[in-house]
Amino acid sequence: MAKDRSQRDEYTTPLRRLLLGVVVLCLLAIFLVWRIDSPRVERFRAQVVDRVVPSMEWAMVPVTAVVNLARDFQSYQRLSEQNQELRSELRLMRAWKEAALQLEQENARLLDLNNVRLDPRLTYITGVVMADSGSPFRQSVLLNVGERDGITDGWATMDGIGVVGRISGVGPDTARVILMTDASSAIPATIQPSGQTALITGDNTSAPAVEFLENRELVRPGDRVVTSGDGGVFPGGLLIGQITADPGGRLRVRLSADFERLEFLRVLRYQSAPQIRDPGDIVGPRNPEAALTPSEVGDG
Amino acid sequence: MDSATSQLWSKRVLYLILAALVLFLHLLPLDTKPDRWPFPDLLIALTFAWVLRRPEYVPTLLIAIVMLMADLLLQRPPGLLAALVVLGAAYLRSAAFGMRDSGFISEWSTVAVVITGVFMLNRVILAIVSVQQAALGPVVIQVVLTIAVYPLIVLLSQNALGVRRATVANTNAVGARG
Repeated sequence: MAKDRSQRDEYTTPLRRLLLGVVVLCLLAIFLVWRIDSPRVERFRAQVVDRVVPSMEWAMVPVTAVVNLARDFQSYQRLSEQNQELRSELRLMRAWKEAALQLEQENARLLDLNNVRLDPRLTYITGVVMADSGSPFRQSVLLNVGERDGITDGWATMDGIGVVGRISGVGPDTARVILMTDASSAIPATIQPSGQTALITGDNTSAPAVEFLENRELVRPGDRVVTSGDGGVFPGGLLIGQITADPGGRLRVRLSADFERLEFLRVLRYQSAPQIRDPGDIVGPRNPEAALTPSEVGDG
Repeated sequence: MDSATSQLWSKRVLYLILAALVLFLHLLPLDTKPDRWPFPDLLIALTFAWVLRRPEYVPTLLIAIVMLMADLLLQRPPGLLAALVVLGAAYLRSAAFGMRDSGFISEWSTVAVVITGVFMLNRVILAIVSVQQAALGPVVIQVVLTIAVYPLIVLLSQNALGVRRATVANTNAVGARG
């Protein structure tokens, strides 16, 4: 035992302890800086991710492809069954297609009559999903487009059909999309046809919750949910999904976008998105600069 | 002595490669649905297993760098979990000599306590500085899975990667070099 003790003391020399202390203090300092000045550290994180993840891409692409191939192969085993399903769905879709064509023509005529111009600013850039968040507690994906392609924080991201999330964290070659299912995501939305506004907040489940709804009675499962454009962060009128009620009676949104396999995402250019560059004013509004001359301040 | 040095550095590089592999597997965009089963934190289990067997293979600085990278890449609050894992590893490093002769079960329970402590402190500190956190349930599952996967990691480290406890002769050699 005595020998043990002496060995241990020899092992943890003061130098080692000093190193340990310095390392732990550095790490905690990084954490504190992150807590105080999050945007700056998040930008640093985006730079690190931008440097590291593309260098893994050569291995990531084939591995992902092989796994997806295996999954597809599993689904081949149910081929005849799926064929039946598809046939019946196709019959349904034909009817819908007729209806849609007629509506499209009618819509075009009406737009023409009203001389409506669709918003020309809403062009988009398509990116490929490179990596996911890597953690079961955060829902985000990494796209292979970034600052180089003009991507800015806050822009809306869609797959072909519905909203997927918003850009948060841009590196030179990559951009992170916080998915609508992430716990930190909240998107202002309008519920059609009642026109009620609500906040669609993610909670790490596949169906985000509907919150801050004024009048629940007007909303029924099956209603369409679209972005409202309130707050100016998101363009309005993008499809999010449909209202469902969970067993507890809480309203949720079944998302239209296919979250099962996100592969190609559209990033909508939307210039009015506000830029977040500083940690926000926690202590109160900033004093107006040069609004008062010193003499006036003296008077007050 | 020279071969021992090359052995030491090759094992350190091996640790880095394994860490990169684990991060790589985490980042694969295979399933973007949120209802994923939380997976065990392999990096922490690997680090603790190696610290208890060959502390010189995983020096404090290396653990700090690897865990900080993991924090940054996996969207965790950067630095906090890394600091806690470094502290946990330091505790195990000092306890390793005492646990040398006791069996695997006692080692496993010590590691389980340290892993639980790391995750609990992480949650408590995040709560104190009021950072938004994941729900408790999946985190508990993750801790349990991490503890459950520890024996497998130990088995793999000992048999496939050759990270075994140093014998007395080896210890003396290390001491002489250090």
